[in-house]
Amino acid sequence: MSEQLKNTSFDALVVGGGIAGGEAALNLANNGFTVLLIEKELSIGGKMILLSKVFPTLDCAACITTPKVSEISRHPNITIYTSSEVGEINKIAENNFEATIIKKPRYVVVEDCTACQLCEQACPVSVPDQFQYNLVGRKAAFIPFSIASPKAAAIDIDNCILCGACEKVCPTNCIDFTQQTEEIQINIKTVVLATGFKLFDPLLIPRYGFGLYKNVVTSMQMERELAPTRPFNTVLRPGDGKVPDKIAYVLCTGSRDATVGNPICSQICCMYSIKQSQLLMGALPMADVTIYYINIRSFGKGFEEFYQQAKGMGVNFVKGKIGKISEKENGNLILRYEDINEGIVKEAEHDMVILSVGVLPNQDAAKLFHTDELKLGPHKFIDQVDSLISPAKTSIEGVFVAGTATGPMDIPDSILSAGAASSEAISYLIQDK
Amino acid sequence: MKKKIGVYVCHCGGNISDYVDVEKVRQAIEDEGGVMLSKATMFACSDSNQKDMVDDIKNNDLNGVVVASCSPKLHLTTFGKVSERAGLNKYNYVHANIREQVSWAHSDDKAGATEKAIHIVRAAIAKARLAESLEPNKIVAQKSVAIIGSGVAGMKAAIALSKMDCPVFLIEREHFIGGRVSQWGAMFTTNETGKEVVTRLYNDLAMRPNVTLFTGAEVVSNAGSIGDFKLKVKITPRYIKANCNVGNLQQAIDACPVEVPDDFNFNITSRKAIYHNFPSEYPQSPVIDIKNCTRCGKCEAICENIDFSQKEEILDINVGSVLMATGFDPYTPGEGEFGYNEIDNVVTLPQFKRMIELSDKKLLFKGKEVKNIAYIYCVGSRQEEGGNTYCSRFCCTSTIHASLLAKEKFPKVHNFHFNRGIRTYGKQEVLYRNSLEQGDIYLQAYEDALPVVYRENDKTKVKINDILTHGKEMEVEADLVVLVTGMVPRAENSVGSLFKLPKGRDKFFNEIHMKLRPVETFIDGVTISGACQGPKNIMESVNSALSAATKSFSYVSKGELETEPIVAGVDAEKCTWCNACSEACPFDAISLTETGTKSIALINNSVCKGCGMCLPVCPTDALDLIAYSNNEIESMIDALAHD
Repeated sequence: MSEQLKNTSFDALVVGGGIAGGEAALNLANNGFTVLLIEKELSIGGKMILLSKVFPTLDCAACITTPKVSEISRHPNITIYTSSEVGEINKIAENNFEATIIKKPRYVVVEDCTACQLCEQACPVSVPDQFQYNLVGRKAAFIPFSIASPKAAAIDIDNCILCGACEKVCPTNCIDFTQQTEEIQINIKTVVLATGFKLFDPLLIPRYGFGLYKNVVTSMQMERELAPTRPFNTVLRPGDGKVPDKIAYVLCTGSRDATVGNPICSQICCMYSIKQSQLLMGALPMADVTIYYINIRSFGKGFEEFYQQAKGMGVNFVKGKIGKISEKENGNLILRYEDINEGIVKEAEHDMVILSVGVLPNQDAAKLFHTDELKLGPHKFIDQVDSLISPAKTSIEGVFVAGTATGPMDIPDSILSAGAASSEAISYLIQDK
Repeated sequence: MKKKIGVYVCHCGGNISDYVDVEKVRQAIEDEGGVMLSKATMFACSDSNQKDMVDDIKNNDLNGVVVASCSPKLHLTTFGKVSERAGLNKYNYVHANIREQVSWAHSDDKAGATEKAIHIVRAAIAKARLAESLEPNKIVAQKSVAIIGSGVAGMKAAIALSKMDCPVFLIEREHFIGGRVSQWGAMFTTNETGKEVVTRLYNDLAMRPNVTLFTGAEVVSNAGSIGDFKLKVKITPRYIKANCNVGNLQQAIDACPVEVPDDFNFNITSRKAIYHNFPSEYPQSPVIDIKNCTRCGKCEAICENIDFSQKEEILDINVGSVLMATGFDPYTPGEGEFGYNEIDNVVTLPQFKRMIELSDKKLLFKGKEVKNIAYIYCVGSRQEEGGNTYCSRFCCTSTIHASLLAKEKFPKVHNFHFNRGIRTYGKQEVLYRNSLEQGDIYLQAYEDALPVVYRENDKTKVKINDILTHGKEMEVEADLVVLVTGMVPRAENSVGSLFKLPKGRDKFFNEIHMKLRPVETFIDGVTISGACQGPKNIMESVNSALSAATKSFSYVSKGELETEPIVAGVDAEKCTWCNACSEACPFDAISLTETGTKSIALINNSVCKGCGMCLPVCPTDALDLIAYSNNEIESMIDALAHD
């Protein structure tokens, strides 16, 4: 991998280094095209690299992501910039785009860093760890997470107190506070947008008490508690560190809900909740797990069987949307809901609640284009102008879209969508020759 | 040369180390003969560990490597590549599976699991001691791809490959292209009709000189393998002259006395033995259905374009890769299933879609105007036992879309949806919302009490205990009952057997790995796309078709392919050609050859998969498998048996 700028001209610019962007970059590179992959986070791998296991095969997410990430980062045709964003992209003509890349300083020379973690130990600042979804803390000088790529330290300059402790202990002198934001002009022939999605912020539904009741967490936080690189080495509720034994899932938190501006279904929450319920049954054999749902949407290959398997394992499925959550003194939670099967309003007590938060569009990509308009669809995902026949096409010829940037979808669909985007991009590149 | 082996034991982030004492395994093997270095690692496959391995191999001149981790299916290639990057021939790398075979299988017995892991790693070390460097076999790859099926997936893949400068043979069994999509009217999300979609794709295809389209064509045999598939394609004639003028063809069709059910309209109408599919069909020429033709000669007498002298042809096609896009069949309900074939006004979803398309002003069924329509969901999907356990994915959305169309076109229609939980995933949810807002009635069945269709007082009725009204018994008098039939694999699917394609539990063709290799199959060089792999909507089919096109292209684009050197070898001295090996070979890789003095077995290296089926049947022990020689296997067994 080269973080150094050797070339300002590439065949393709791929925006977003998650599973879709990575797959698209690999397809292009394996067919002989040069790719610049831009990732705004400190590591590539997107959201998938942070997951526990993936449905319906229960492969561990890291086992699938890390070798892909490794292949991407080693590929001679792929140049990666992490901590970088695209400033703007202008189309000059067909097969001719200009883009500005804003490369933010990491304050660490990646090539020299050995990820020895001495700086981490020396740093006196503690802040919430965004890669553990704030379940635990991290330092201001830190390795993002153990399977990050590149695996190198970074300085969180917003929280750094410039005490210099990290510089003193670094054995390779790789910490460099003089690094500056760089602006790089590049020329490319095609663009693949794989800018992913945002998670619904449950603070927007105050009646669920997220942020107020400590034992109400998001599904992404539970994902971290179940991951191989989990923070606690067991599942526990954040309020008091107790191992929960009566766990509830609240499906459709921020999905299929016009009151929060998101009327569509997020497509993944049923399945990831069912997956987590199976993992919880394994991790905490004595625990009861209840999933409160409107409809279970287990539609993909092997998904319905996976749902039936969860039922068989004893996961309790209750048809009813949760109206309100309140907290008892002992930190347990009272869920108020209409039991649709029986037609009565009920209350149930659980000691931990997981909000299965939905998928929201990341609208950043639309702002990048000035010469042409990148259209967004009615739900603010990137518009697929020919959704039936060419799902990867956008409103700009030569700009293609992959993965959840087009709408909610699971990992297998994202990978196929990336396959389609790279295929269209390759056709577009070849026809120019 | 004495081996210097590096051994890496992986925690797999807890997947292994929760049940296997990884450090104990490492200590147990560190003094094994040949082991120079042993390490435990959190994720052997992670980028940082891969870099460490490369450094270790280079710095210590290792000439053997063992990683004890997950299944070789996942990471044999990964670590083989690590070895190569360090300058070590990848066949000196040996994979030990202590996850699927140990930690996951023995999560109830940590001590036993650790003990078993130690033995498995020892066996791998024993193999590594004997491993030799090998070079891959190089074969020439034909730069062309055969696509089987010209529905939307097949056509889209053909266009993509054509654009990549790769010649394509598009092989369609029917006499018209377009597959299932040509049978649909307006579709979600764009409201484009199936006809329009097919026309657009056909117009694009027609301009492409490197695409050869065969209709009425079926692959009947395959010899060869990746890089060099040798297909025989049977072409059935249309019995209509090519480039005919339209002239009297319509009169000839009118004159035909034969009436048979029109399968294009799912048998709700009939057609002649000489027929068109629909007005904008492709290719734009009718065809004679020779099975049903009575050879009365009436059409011939009217139209000079008809030519009964046309003969069936067999063509030989040679391609480097095969892309399957054979699609699906709609589920056919059993006799009496929700009244099918027993109660008069029960139809399937595909039939209903054709009815909407073919009706004008009023929706008529057998001459009577249809007002109340009852849709019964999940027919042939999510069946509890014995049948199709899977969800067919497209049908909730497709049905709601069709019901909205019906309501729009025929305002007197009332829609009643007898469902099992609506699955309009993602953006398709807006359709469900629209349907609710326009006043469609949804009734949901309990899983153990599906709706019942019955006749009473000369009327067809549907009865249900409805979850949404807390179990109240509801009854709807229906003018038409639409069974929402799911997708099933093609009934005539023998082309899959020609390539020995594996199928999943659901009987659709199966990919190697849903996330890592979603369009590849275990048969090298054969990719799968669209609904032959499992239920998909059009957009999803197109995505998989384009992915498969790129994959197939990568097999053939360089004109040369490398295949595994792990194949069987024949000892000419010992071989007496008894034919047992060639009978045991599942890949037809063994044939007879003459050495001048005797007849012996010959292995075709590009077809042999190194499966080893031939070895145990050889009475003279003349066969051995490269990299899995008797010597190596015996040393592994010794290591496993040793305390």
